Amino acid sequence: MNFFTEPLTLLTFFPLLGVLLLLFIPGGQKNALRWTALAVSLITFVISLWVFFLSGLYDASNPDLQLVARHPWIQVAGWNIEYHLAADGLSILLILLTTLLTPISILSTWTAVEERVKEFMVFFLLLETGMLGVFVAQDLFLFYIFWEFTLVPMYFLIGIWGGPRRIYAALKFFLYTMAGSILMLLAILWLGIQGGTFSVPQLIEQGGIPANIQWWLFIAFAAAFAIKVPMWPLHSWLPDAHVEAPTAGSVILAGVLLKLGTYGFVRFNIPLFPEATLKAAPWIALLATIGIIYGAAVSYAQTDIKKLVAYSSVSHLGFVMLGLFALNPEGLAGAILQMINHGISTGALFLLVGMIYEQTHTREFKVYGGLWKLMPVFGTLYLIVSLSSMGLPGLNGFVGEFTILLGAWGAGQSGVFYWGGVWFAAISALGVIMAAIYILYMFQKMFMGPQGEVVDEVKKHGHSLRDLNWREIAVIAPLILLIFWIGLYPAPFFDLMAPSVNKLAETFSAAALALR
Amino acid sequence: MPQPQDYQTLLPVIVLAVWACALLLLDSFLIQRKGLTACLAAAGLAITLGLTLSQIGRSSSGFSGMVVLDGFSTFINALQLVSGLLGVALAYAYVKRMGIERGEYYTLLLFSVVGMMLMAQATDLIVVFIALEMLSIPLYVLAAFNRTQAASEEAGLKYFLLGAFSTGFLVYGITLVYGATASTNLSAIFAAASSTSNLLLTIGAALILVGFGFKVAVVPFHMWTPDVYQGAPTAVTGFMSSGAKIAGFAALLRVFATAFPAIAADMTDILWALAAVTMILGNLVAISQTDIKRMLAYSSIAHAGYILMAFVPYGNPAVAPVSIAAGLFYLAAYVITNFGAWGVVIALEQPDGKGLQISDYSGLFWRKRGLAVAMTVFMLSLIGFPPTIGMVGKFYLFRAIIDGGFTGLAIIGVIASLVSAFYYLRVVVNMFMREGEQKIEREFWLDLTWGAAAFLTVAISLAPGWLFYLASAAGLR
Amino acid sequence: MLLEYLAIALLLVVSTLVGLIAIGLGELFGPKIKSKVKDEPYESGMPVIGAGTRRMPVRFYLIAVLFILFDIEVVFFLPWAVAFRQLGLFGMFEMVVFIVILLVGYAYAWKKGALEWE
Repeated sequence: MNFFTEPLTLLTFFPLLGVLLLLFIPGGQKNALRWTALAVSLITFVISLWVFFLSGLYDASNPDLQLVARHPWIQVAGWNIEYHLAADGLSILLILLTTLLTPISILSTWTAVEERVKEFMVFFLLLETGMLGVFVAQDLFLFYIFWEFTLVPMYFLIGIWGGPRRIYAALKFFLYTMAGSILMLLAILWLGIQGGTFSVPQLIEQGGIPANIQWWLFIAFAAAFAIKVPMWPLHSWLPDAHVEAPTAGSVILAGVLLKLGTYGFVRFNIPLFPEATLKAAPWIALLATIGIIYGAAVSYAQTDIKKLVAYSSVSHLGFVMLGLFALNPEGLAGAILQMINHGISTGALFLLVGMIYEQTHTREFKVYGGLWKLMPVFGTLYLIVSLSSMGLPGLNGFVGEFTILLGAWGAGQSGVFYWGGVWFAAISALGVIMAAIYILYMFQKMFMGPQGEVVDEVKKHGHSLRDLNWREIAVIAPLILLIFWIGLYPAPFFDLMAPSVNKLAETFSAAALALR
Repeated sequence: MPQPQDYQTLLPVIVLAVWACALLLLDSFLIQRKGLTACLAAAGLAITLGLTLSQIGRSSSGFSGMVVLDGFSTFINALQLVSGLLGVALAYAYVKRMGIERGEYYTLLLFSVVGMMLMAQATDLIVVFIALEMLSIPLYVLAAFNRTQAASEEAGLKYFLLGAFSTGFLVYGITLVYGATASTNLSAIFAAASSTSNLLLTIGAALILVGFGFKVAVVPFHMWTPDVYQGAPTAVTGFMSSGAKIAGFAALLRVFATAFPAIAADMTDILWALAAVTMILGNLVAISQTDIKRMLAYSSIAHAGYILMAFVPYGNPAVAPVSIAAGLFYLAAYVITNFGAWGVVIALEQPDGKGLQISDYSGLFWRKRGLAVAMTVFMLSLIGFPPTIGMVGKFYLFRAIIDGGFTGLAIIGVIASLVSAFYYLRVVVNMFMREGEQKIEREFWLDLTWGAAAFLTVAISLAPGWLFYLASAAGLR
Repeated sequence: MLLEYLAIALLLVVSTLVGLIAIGLGELFGPKIKSKVKDEPYESGMPVIGAGTRRMPVRFYLIAVLFILFDIEVVFFLPWAVAFRQLGLFGMFEMVVFIVILLVGYAYAWKKGALEWE
C-alpha cells in the first residue's frame, strides 16, 4: 500500500511528523522548537500548493472528488469503514487556508508564547492535522474521528495558554461542541446501518432516505455544525473562547475551526439530505439573518476588542450560512469565498490585536486612542484589515458578501426561502452597514483623538509603544496581500470551486422549482 | 462417568485451580520473598492464558451439560486472565509500599480468577452460583486486605454483607426458575420456558437480574460500590472493578441469552430502564466527587449502564449477536482503559492515604509527562472520545442499539456521556491547567501497566478490526 | 394449582396467630410486678456476674470456623460411602481429589498457626 505517496495522506499527516520531531527536541531549546514547528508548517503549506497546483494531479475543472486515497479499514462484523480521503472544489480553498494560517499563527507566537513552547507547538501541529483531516475525510467514521479530535488540542491551547478565565472557557468550548457532535454520532450510525457504508459519496449516490427521517438526520448533523459555526442562538461559547484563547489560538479558532461547521453543512447536510435541506432553508436563513443583525448589534456594545471581533464573527458567519442555504451557485460560491475571507480578515484582526496586546496587556479599546501617530504602520494595516472585515468594495469582504446577497436575493425570488422571500437578503444587507458602524467606531477609539491612557501606562513600565517590527509585518503581509488579491481579482478563487459548486447547485435548481 | 472431553472443556480452569492450591502451599512453606509468589501467580495466569488461547475455535460441552466451552467463554476467559495479570502487575509494588505484602494476596486473586472463568463457562444455574461464590469470597477478603485501616475493613465487610444479600436474590431467583421449569440447566430452561406459563419464570429471571445487578453495580443496586472501591486497597479496586464486572456480565449474558429469550418482551423494558437509570445516575453523581477513587467508582457504575445497553435487544434474534458482540467489545475496551486509570491512581497514591484527591493531580503534566498523557488518554477513552478505544466501543454499542430500534436509549446514552465529559475533563484540567506538586511512585510493573494500557487504548482504536472480529466470533448464537 | 398451597398458607396464619395470642394473653392478664431481680437476665438461676456480652478471645472464632469448614466437608463422605460400590474406582479418585483439596486448606491453616492456642 503506497500510503505515504498519496498526496492527501501525506498532506494530512505531515504535521504529525513534525510532532514526532518536536518530541525529540528538549523543552529548553525554545528557538529550535519554534523554527522546527515553523518549518514543518511551511513545508505543509508548500505540499498543499504542490498537491493542488504544481503536481498536475488535481484538475480544477473537474467537479468530482479527486486525489482519492481509499483503502478498506475496518471491514469485519458488518462494519464497512474505509480510510477515504479526497478533495474537490468545496474543500480545496479551506485546505489552503488551513495550511496558510498555521505557519502564520506559529510565527505570531514567536514572542507571545515564552513558556511551555514545546507543548504549544505540539498541540498546534496536532490541531493542523485534525483540521486538514476534517476537510479531506470522505468516510463518516473517519470524519467523526477527525472532527472530535480537533477539539482536544484546541481545548489545551485555550486552557493552558489562555487568559484568566481560561479553564471555564476551555471547558465550555469542549462541552458545547461535544453536545452537538454526539447527536451527529447517532445520525452517522443510522446512516451507516441503513446505507451499509459510511462513505459519503456512496451515500449521496444511493440517496433514498425517507423525507421524515431525512429531517431528523438533518437536525442531528445541523446540531453539530451549527454549534461550531456558531449560529445564533448557539453562539455563546464563542466570545468566551476567543477572549481567553491566546492570539494564535484565536486566529485558528476564527480562521479555520468555525469553518469546520460551515464546511460540514455544505459537505454533508446539503448533499446528503436534499429534501430536508429545502425544507430547512428558510429556517436556517432566518436564524442566519437574526445572527447577522444580532451579532452586529452586540458587537457595537463591546468594549473588549477580542469580544467585538468574536461577535462580529457571529455576524459574518451568518452571511456564510445565508449564502449556503440560498442553494444557488452565487450563494454557495459566495459563502465559500466568504469563509476564506472571514478566515483572512478575522485572522489578521486577531493577529494585530495580539501584537498590540503584547505591548499593552489590555484589550479595552477605550483606553487606547491616538495610536495612529505613534504606530503608523500598525494603524495602516489595522485600517486595511478593518475595512476588509466591514466589506469595503475593492477588498475581499465585499466580494464575498455581495455575491452572497446576490444569491440570497435570487433564492428569495426563486422560492427557496419560501415565506421569507427576498426579505432575508434585504435585512441582511443592513448587517453590512452595521458592521461599518461598529468597526469604524472601534478604529476611531483606538487610533484617532487624543492619546489614550494606555500610552502613559506603558511608559510607566519603562517602555514606549513601538511600531511593528519586521517579523510582525512578515506575519501579516501574506494576509494583506490576499485581502487585495481577492478584492480586486477574485476570478481564480471562484474558478477553483465553480465546477463543484455548480454541480451541487444543479440538484436543487430543478428540485426547488418542482417543490414550490 | 466423565469422559476426557469433560476435563478438556474445563482444562484452563482446572489448571489454574491446581496452580492456585499449589501456590498456597508453596507460599506458606517455602517462599520467603513474596515477590516470588507474585511472579509464580503471574506465571500461572500466563500459562492458563496460553491454554485458553489454544482453545480458540474449539467448542464442546462437559459434565452433563453443566459447563461449556465456546467462543464466548474463550473470549471472556482470555479477558479475565489478562485482567488477572494486570491485577498482579498493579499489586506487585503497591502492596510493598502500603505495607500489606502477604502471599495470600496472589492466591486469593488466583482463586477469584478461577471463579470468574468458571462463571463464563457455566451453563447450569447451580454452577453459576458456585462460580459466583468462588469469585466473590476472595474479593471480600481482598477488599479488607489492608486490615489495619478502618476504611479497608469497612469496605470488606460492606462488600461481604451486600454480596451475601445479593446472592440471596440470586438463589431465590434460581429456585423460582427451577419451580417454573423443573430444571437448572440453561437450555432445558429455554426449552421448558417456551411452553409453560411465564409469571414465575419472569419473577425468577428478574430476581437473578437483581442478584447480578449487585455484582456489576447497576443502579439501584450500586450503593456499595463507592464505599468499597474507595476503602479497598487501590490495586484490589482496579482488579475488582474489571474482573467482577466481566464475570457478572458474562453470566448475565449467558443466562439471559440462552435461557430467557422467551420472556424477552418483559425483560427488555426492565433492562432498558435499568440501563438508562444507571447511565444517568452514575454520571450525574460522579460530577460532585472530589476523590478520584470515588469518581472512578461512579464512572464504573455508569459504564455498567453502557454495557447493560447491549443486553436490551437480547430477545431479538436478528440483532442479539451484534449487540452481544458490541457488549463484549465494550467490556474489553473498558477493562484496558480502566486498568490504566487505576494504574495512574496507584502511581500517585501515598502510603498515608494522601494523593487521592482530584486536586492532587494539579500540574501533573508539568512534572511527569508520560503519566499525565496516559491519564488524559484514559479519561478521553472513558468519555468516548477519539482517538481512543472507548470511542470505538461506544460507536459499536450505539450502532447495535440503534439497529435494535432503541434510538431513545441511544440518545440517553450519548447525553450521559456528554455529562461524563464534565467530570473526566476536570482531571485533565487539573493535570494541565493548574499548578501543583505531587510525589509520584516509579515502579517498573506499574509503569508498564499504565504505559501499555495507554498504548493499547490508542492503538486498538486505530486498528480495531481484529478485536471486532474476535468479539463477533464470540457472540452467543 | 394455587389452591394446593392453601393448607400451608392456613398453617402459617394459624401458627402465627397462636403464637401472638399466647403472648398477648400473658401480657393482658398476667400480673406485672417489677423488681430488680426480675429485670436481670436469666442465667440458669445463678447470680449474674459481669456484663451480658462478654469479650471472647478471637481464637474461639477461628476454631469455630475451622470446625465448621472441616465438619461440613466431612458430611460429603456419607453419601459417597453409601454409593461406594456403584461409583467404583472413579468415585474413589474423585474423593481423593476432594480430600487433597481439603488437605491443602488444612496444611495452610496448620502452617499459619491457626491450630495453635497460643
